[in-house]
Parts: sequence; C-alpha cells; structure tokens
Amino acid sequence: MSDEADILSDPEFQRILTLRSRWRWGLSGLLIGAYLIWAVGGIYYSAAYAAPFMGIALPWGMAVGLVIIALSIVLSIAYVRIVNRLEAEEIVERDKHQ
Amino acid sequence: MTGTGPNITAIAVFVAFVSLSLFITWWASKKTHSAGEFYTAGGKITGFQNGLALAGDFMSAATFLGLTGLAFIGGADAMLYTVAITVSWAFILFAFADRMRNLGRYTFADVVAYRLHPERMRVLAAAGTLTVAIPYLIAQMVGAGSLIETLFNIPYLGAVMIVGTLMTIYVVFGGMLATTWVQVTKAVLLLAGGTVLLVLVFARFGFSIDTLFERAGDLHPRGRGVFLPGVLYDDPISIISLGLAFICGTAGLPHVLMRFFTVPDAQQARNSIGYAVGIIGYFQAAIMIVGIGAIALLIGDGEYVDEAGRITGGANMVSIHLSRLVGGEVFFGLIAAVAFATILAVVAGILLSASAAVAHDFYARVIRKGDISDDAEVKVSRFATVVIAGVAMGLSVLFQNVNVAILSTIALAVAASVNFPAIFLALFWSGLTTRGAVAGGVTGLVVVVALIILSPTVWVNVLGNANAVFPYAYPTLFSVAAAFAVTITVSLTDRSERATTDRAGFPAQLVRSEIGEKP
Repeated sequence: MSDEADILSDPEFQRILTLRSRWRWGLSGLLIGAYLIWAVGGIYYSAAYAAPFMGIALPWGMAVGLVIIALSIVLSIAYVRIVNRLEAEEIVERDKHQ
Repeated sequence: MTGTGPNITAIAVFVAFVSLSLFITWWASKKTHSAGEFYTAGGKITGFQNGLALAGDFMSAATFLGLTGLAFIGGADAMLYTVAITVSWAFILFAFADRMRNLGRYTFADVVAYRLHPERMRVLAAAGTLTVAIPYLIAQMVGAGSLIETLFNIPYLGAVMIVGTLMTIYVVFGGMLATTWVQVTKAVLLLAGGTVLLVLVFARFGFSIDTLFERAGDLHPRGRGVFLPGVLYDDPISIISLGLAFICGTAGLPHVLMRFFTVPDAQQARNSIGYAVGIIGYFQAAIMIVGIGAIALLIGDGEYVDEAGRITGGANMVSIHLSRLVGGEVFFGLIAAVAFATILAVVAGILLSASAAVAHDFYARVIRKGDISDDAEVKVSRFATVVIAGVAMGLSVLFQNVNVAILSTIALAVAASVNFPAIFLALFWSGLTTRGAVAGGVTGLVVVVALIILSPTVWVNVLGNANAVFPYAYPTLFSVAAAFAVTITVSLTDRSERATTDRAGFPAQLVRSEIGEKP
C-alpha cells in the first residue's frame, strides 16, 4: 500500500497522469464533438450538405464525413505515439527511483 | 439469386477457408491447456495481429453487407453509421485501452470487480455479457442462415447447423488462439475482397470520384436528393441516440473488450487498437464509396433492381450483386464465400466471450469463489461453450423470421447502457460504489428493454400498433443517461460499509491502471 502512496505522491507520476488525461479527454471530446456537430448539422443544413464539394459531384456532407474518418485515424496514430513516448519516460523515471 | 445453382468458386473458396480454419484449430488445440491460454491465448498475440482480429470482430456481415445496402437505400445518411463506427474505435483507444489492459486478466469483469464487491460485480458483468452476446449471436446466425440459403442453396436449418457446429469446434478445441487466427484470416480475406471490389467499382468510372457521384445522382429515383441528409432520421434526438449507441455500445461489447487481454501489455493493447482504427476507418470509407457505386451501377440493370427500385433478394445483397456485375462469376463466388467466413469468425468470438462470462466470472469466481483448479475451469468453459452454442442454435431456428436489426439494436444498446457506464465509472470515478454500479446496471437494462419494446421497431412493426409510444429507433440517449444518473446518485448517497472499501480502493487501482502489473 505504501508503494502505491509513494507513486501517487510522486510529482513525475502526477505530471504524466495529467498529461495523459489531457490527451485522453481532449482527443475524445474533439472527435465525438466533431461527429455530433456534423451529424446533427445535416438536419438543419441539408441543402448545403448535398451541394457539390469544390466543383466535383461528391457532396459536401459526405466529404466532411470522410474527413472525420481520416481525422480519427490520424489522431489515433498520434495518440499511440504520444502515450508510448510518455510511458517510456515513466519507466525511465521509475527505474531511477529504484 | 437469379436462378443460378451453387457457385463453384464460392464453394471451393469456402471449403478452403473451413479446411484452413480447422487446421488452425488443430494447431491451436495443442497450445491451449490453461485457462489463460483458453480465454486470452496466453497474452501472446502481437499488436498487429490483435489489431486485425479486433477490426475483424467489427467487420461483421452486418457492416459489410448491411451498410452497403444502407448506402444504397439511405444515401448520405448511411454515413451516420460509418463515421460513428470509426469514431467509436478511436474513443475506445483514448479512453479504455491502457487502463483496461492493466487492470484485467480475462474479461471486462476483472476490471469492474477490481476494487468493487467482486461477486456482485461479476454477476452483473456476466449478466451484461450474456444479454449482449445471446441476441448478437442469434442476429448473426439468423442473418447467416438466410444468406447461406440464398448463396449456397443450403436449407436454413442446415446453414444454422454448419455455422453452429464450426463455431463450437473453434472455441472448444482452439480457445482464443484459434478464434483469433480464424478472425485474422477472415479480416485479411475481407479487406482484400473489399479492396478489389472498390477498385473494380472505381474502374467503371475511370477512377473518377466526380463521375461516380454524378452517375449516382443522375440514376437515383430521388436524383441528387440521395445526397441530402435526413432521409433515415430527421431529428437531433434520434441522431444523437444513434451516435451514442455506437460510441458507448462498441466500448461495451464483451468480445471486443476481451481482446485487450490477448496481448502482452498495455502498449501492445494500445498499438493493436491503433491498427484497428486504421483498418476499420479505411473499410468504412470504402463501404460508403462501394454503396454509392452500387447506386450508379445497379439501378437501371433489370437483373438486380426491379421496376419499383427494390434490390433482388433484399438490401443485404447489394455488395453481392455488385461483385458479380463488376467481377464476374469467380469474383462473386469469392465475395460470397468471404461473407460466410466473416459470419463464422464473428460468432466464434462472441461465443467465447459468453462462455468466459459463464465459466470464469460466474462459475469459477462467484459459485466456487476462485477455489477451482485451472484444469477444471477449462473443462467448465468447454462445457459452457457447447451449451451456449446449442441454445443459440435452437433460438436461431425459433426466431428465423425475427427482424435481425432488432436483435442487433438490443445487443448494442445493452452494451452501451449496462456495460459501458459500469466500466467507465469504475475506471475514472473514485466515488463509484458497488451498490451504485448494480443499481445503474439494472436501470440501464430495464430502460433499454422497455424503450425498445415501445419503439417503432417493435411496438408498430412487430406488435401492429398504429403509433409508437417511444418515437425513436435507438433508446441509448435515454437509457445511457438513466444508467449514469442512477449509478451516480446511488453511489453518492451510499453510506454502507462496502462503499467505504470501494472508494478507498481507487488510489491503488489508479496506480495499477496507469503503470501495470509491476509497480
């Protein structure tokens, strides 16, 4: 139990905890927010959603949908890299303590 | 089908797939002895393999066949689904991957029982798993039965027997190792088949996205109106409910959560879901293009679409028809066989999660309180697998004519309203108590079932009433909100002795969930 209390009060652990939760909720909020705005927006701006996208027949609404899919993939790759790096730092830090 | 007999390529490819899957099972059976090997392949799957398997779990026949059909019918609105699915997987990665892997061993029950009352939470988790897994299994098997009936001219009963027997063999003898490799094989086949289909469809339009969408807009009975959103759902509540069903529901599917434990550590769990998001996102985007391509190619072709604009054999046949049109008999046979293989791999994964809930969470941990040998637990799991498979097969025959969409809605909505709130609050809220989690779980279940019965899908379409009491197709906005509200309120007012223990366990859980096994 004291082991855990030690780790919990370690400022380095706290720093990484805060960083991780910032990425976790920031990215989740960004993607879910984008999805909901795009999905609900379709009801109110349906004509604009069906309009051709930059001169090609692909409709705007679907183009934005494809962008949100692409964004999910890009942010996922970014998240994996960021957290893998943070975790590596964390392990180095822990080894220094021991 | 237009009167053709069984397709030789389809049968050849399918027999090859089944032979390979049985070989995999035989190979896996030699490596599957302990409970850890049975449930989670001993945690030895690599991140990339697991990514493919996870993507495979979700690229079911429902998404491959159903969503192409939905794009054909609903046009732009089908994207509400494809985008929600991709976003939901990214959310699982951000919110769940690390902490789940660090806290659990075999099932998501390990995670919710970590600091809460172990027996009560395991009963809740096992109930949540079975209420998701059984409807999901039946939905897949009923869908499989009708599909195989159409594609291979095998009677419905025979089709259900084939699917049921094969899934039982995979799980009983090969456990998670066989289930994973069958899933990986199928994911590769489906990705390859889907990609070839996409390229062939695109080639018909000179690889121009402009020509493809223009032709679809010209040919569709609604004209460019097919790209107007609001055809399937035109109110914000339905759309938010649908989004929540996928975002919270996918994160509460037991067979998906179980895959977090098949890799060695949190980093591999994270990597594997990263791969899964990439694969699923690509596949969902491809499905949309193929669906719109189907409008541009199938409409006006009397063989596949009748005068009234109805697809021969139903909307699920869109991608099958399309594969024959652009790729000929051989490619059509290949896609048909892959669709069959898809169902087999998905049901095996769901069956294994149901069996783990009964044997590990309920029998070994609650009834025997953990006092059971590894050998005995594996035996019980195998026995449970056979029983659950038998029940699912029987119910699939009984419910042959039930609307598959209702069963899938129930499965996803229960996952979102029972499993998701419990896992989410157990991981992130120190104030959660056992009493709160149980009360919230029961509330979620009751509200989901009640609202689905009162919704248009059951109240009007099944029970024949004129107007639905609950006007929305998905209950999730209300059921998830109710589950969270009850869980939080009951937890906050919980003054029991157990509640003190529950809350006091959070700091230790937090440390373990962040840094894993070795502090």
